[in-house]
Amino acid sequence: MEKKKSSALRQSFNVFLGLAVLTAVEYGVSFIEFPTVALFIIGLFKAGLILNYFMHVGLLWSDGGKHK
Amino acid sequence: MSASAISQAEYEQQESANRLGLWLFFASEAFMFAGLLVARFYLWGDTRPHLDQAVALIITAVLLLSSYSMNRAEVMIAHDDRKGFLNSLLITAALGVVFLIGVIGFEWQGHIRPTDGAFGAVLYGMTGMHALHVVSGIVFIFIVWNNGRKGHYSADRHWGVHACAVWWHYIDLVWVFFYPALYLIGTAQ
Amino acid sequence: MVIFSLGIIRGIVGQIVGTAVGLILVTLIRLLMGLPAWKAEPAMIIGALIGAVGFMIGVGALSDWFKWMGGKETPMHHGPPTDKPAWTRYFSVDYNHKVIGVQYAVTGILLVLVAGSLALIFRTELAQTGLQYIEAATFNTLFGMHGIVMIAGILLGVGGMINYLVPLMIGASDMAFPRLNAFGFWINVPGAILVISALFMGGWDTGWTGYPPLSVLAPMGVQAFMLGVYLVGISSIVGSANTLVTVAKMRAPGMSWFRMPIFVWAAVATSIIQLTATQLIGLSFLMVTVERVLGMGFFNPVLTAHAIEVGSPPGNVVLFQHLFWFYSHPAVYVFILPGLGIISELLPVFARKPLFGYKWIALSSLAIALVGFLVWAHHMFTAGMEPFLRIPFQFATMLVAVPTGVKFFSWVGTIWRGKLEFPTPMLFVLGAISVFLIGGLTGPPNGTVTTDLYLHDTYWIVGHFHATMFGGFIFPFFAALYYWFPKATGRMYNERLGKLHFWLILPGFWVQSLGQIAVGLLGMRRRIADYDPALGIQNGHVWITVAGYVIGLSVLVMIYNLAWSARKGPVAAANPWRSRSPEFQIPSPIPEHSYAEAFVITGEPYDYGLPGATYVAMNPSAAPAAAD
Repeated sequence: MEKKKSSALRQSFNVFLGLAVLTAVEYGVSFIEFPTVALFIIGLFKAGLILNYFMHVGLLWSDGGKHK
Repeated sequence: MSASAISQAEYEQQESANRLGLWLFFASEAFMFAGLLVARFYLWGDTRPHLDQAVALIITAVLLLSSYSMNRAEVMIAHDDRKGFLNSLLITAALGVVFLIGVIGFEWQGHIRPTDGAFGAVLYGMTGMHALHVVSGIVFIFIVWNNGRKGHYSADRHWGVHACAVWWHYIDLVWVFFYPALYLIGTAQ
Repeated sequence: MVIFSLGIIRGIVGQIVGTAVGLILVTLIRLLMGLPAWKAEPAMIIGALIGAVGFMIGVGALSDWFKWMGGKETPMHHGPPTDKPAWTRYFSVDYNHKVIGVQYAVTGILLVLVAGSLALIFRTELAQTGLQYIEAATFNTLFGMHGIVMIAGILLGVGGMINYLVPLMIGASDMAFPRLNAFGFWINVPGAILVISALFMGGWDTGWTGYPPLSVLAPMGVQAFMLGVYLVGISSIVGSANTLVTVAKMRAPGMSWFRMPIFVWAAVATSIIQLTATQLIGLSFLMVTVERVLGMGFFNPVLTAHAIEVGSPPGNVVLFQHLFWFYSHPAVYVFILPGLGIISELLPVFARKPLFGYKWIALSSLAIALVGFLVWAHHMFTAGMEPFLRIPFQFATMLVAVPTGVKFFSWVGTIWRGKLEFPTPMLFVLGAISVFLIGGLTGPPNGTVTTDLYLHDTYWIVGHFHATMFGGFIFPFFAALYYWFPKATGRMYNERLGKLHFWLILPGFWVQSLGQIAVGLLGMRRRIADYDPALGIQNGHVWITVAGYVIGLSVLVMIYNLAWSARKGPVAAANPWRSRSPEFQIPSPIPEHSYAEAFVITGEPYDYGLPGATYVAMNPSAAPAAAD
């Protein structure tokens, strides 16, 4: 139980770290000349991380499964 | 919310219906937020106003942090750690308030006013609509926190917490697209 | 007080109190900010919003949720109230989907009556050139009001059919979220009150489309209208989410997606549109609201000095039309898809033949809904929209004709060599097909850029639109009312009056619609109070007006028939139409909990006339034989 919890918390932190890095990259990319497409792609990556790890979108398909 | 009279199987069946309903509402809201993005690109094109980049980056980071602490809250209750769960909720709400202060107290005090043509309309329209959702999320958090304080959630039954968390992440998700659209894309005028 | 036991009375009191609170709140805030204390529009907006919340609290639609917020559980109470007469449940919050369905349908009919009466007023004015009875400004308010109240009424009628029928047809005990269902109905009431109150706030002159810049400059009535629409939109969104979850999660065992009754497919397609597109009309009206009150210039092409200084681009009125039509075009599919579903549902019953091409019909509903998202700009060919958008939207629009054609083909194929019977519901189904054909054939010329440049904003459009609405909603809705009336009330309507209704409304509508199309081609503009006698169309207008009165009369015949028969009509059999649908296999009127035991689906839904084919395997204890 405790082990599962700490691994879940570690995953939570890793996702957060990924999102933070991507945001920093976004900010950096905005200084180059044609950033729109790049920003859009990074945005999609961030959205994917949030949808998958934070919002557990997969539970919609694995019906009745509990979120852990 | 936490109906103890029903069996675990019934609870999970209800939860799966609730989840689908909530996500359908997300889909619905997505069209509204997309409409605001459409307005931004239709009216601003590849220009944008000069805005305070530091403020924008700070509030974005704050919202991201709040999403992290919200996820921690959900992990904690899923492992029956009630104290950590309640504390994480409070941290999330506090970060939400900081975000609101950043938007209203700093962003909205800049040199762009609501009446300044398309710049003012879109900037205040998008941040205002998003801030309204942040307020709703904070209210939601306090309802869940209050019920959690009374001991209403358990590792097996915490749909209320899950709904609140997913709602909060959804608000963060919207900002993932609003932040570059308002502050990074296009040439500053 | 007995009267306060009615939820609706408490709700209206709540709305009045809430509105007063809002007015006082805004005035106090303005006083504190050192502004002139009274400004009508912000006070009205906040008053209207708090008033709507007041209504929902008063009626009791929020009670259970407030308890949940405090962590209390509220077990679901089903059945009529124990401490007051059973009829009061129809005027209060009730969680049974059949009660909510009746509430939706009756309120919808009421709104349709109000909107129809408004139309008769300005139709009377149009029967003669010159202005006789009403002023131009009143005329403007009346046609705008006719449009939007009709739309609200139709949305409620659609909600009535879906709420009543979908759980019955899929064998669910109720909708997935009964409380949300009740909320979704009751939010319409303060919405409708707000829209109608626009009459007393100076009216408005933009029509139901509310285009800026006129809607930004119009009297305050436009604000009441927009807020009312906003509330009705909330109902659409929560109602459609509820429908989709119900269909996805609560179907009877054995009911795969392609064994669902065809109406359920139509309900799913409609719900997909309502769920998503409704947000865009809400957003566009909200933008007009903040432009009116806060001066945020989304649609204002004129820049202030400070805006020029910060380098802002101007607002753009065409943006409104894009956002608005992104909902308001698919909205017409919200109105017609359930009606077309009713046609496909009833035809095989009265032709005693399998529905021709079930899968194609099912998917054509979905196809209409999805293609419907890609056609909105065909309303804007003359609006100064980007010219390169014209051709793509023209072709996307033509694409809608394909799935619609599939439906017509299937209807003809179902009728072909069937053993037709002609009770009132079947007459309305056949009438709907004839009327919808008029609407369908007059559509492509509007979607084609070259012809639309001439037809746009003429009475041709009015004729086309009314034909689609009558063929796609009004006629099928009436068919559904007659068809399920014995199931809902346990009594049979009067067949002679039903036929009288039909034989008044069908020729009445043909004359009205073809008349509108004709005067449109001869030069009549839409939305104007007067026209040039030299156009030579006055006789046409007289015909349209007389036909309008005939239609109104026929609807009164129906209301008399249904109201009288509900109490005095002969007792109905459990399955008067020999239908195979599950709701006809249980007693009339349908018991509180519909199905005593769960049933199993064992075959195809529309195998009428095929020996040995079964669809529903009922438990013997719930068989209809036990009911007579």
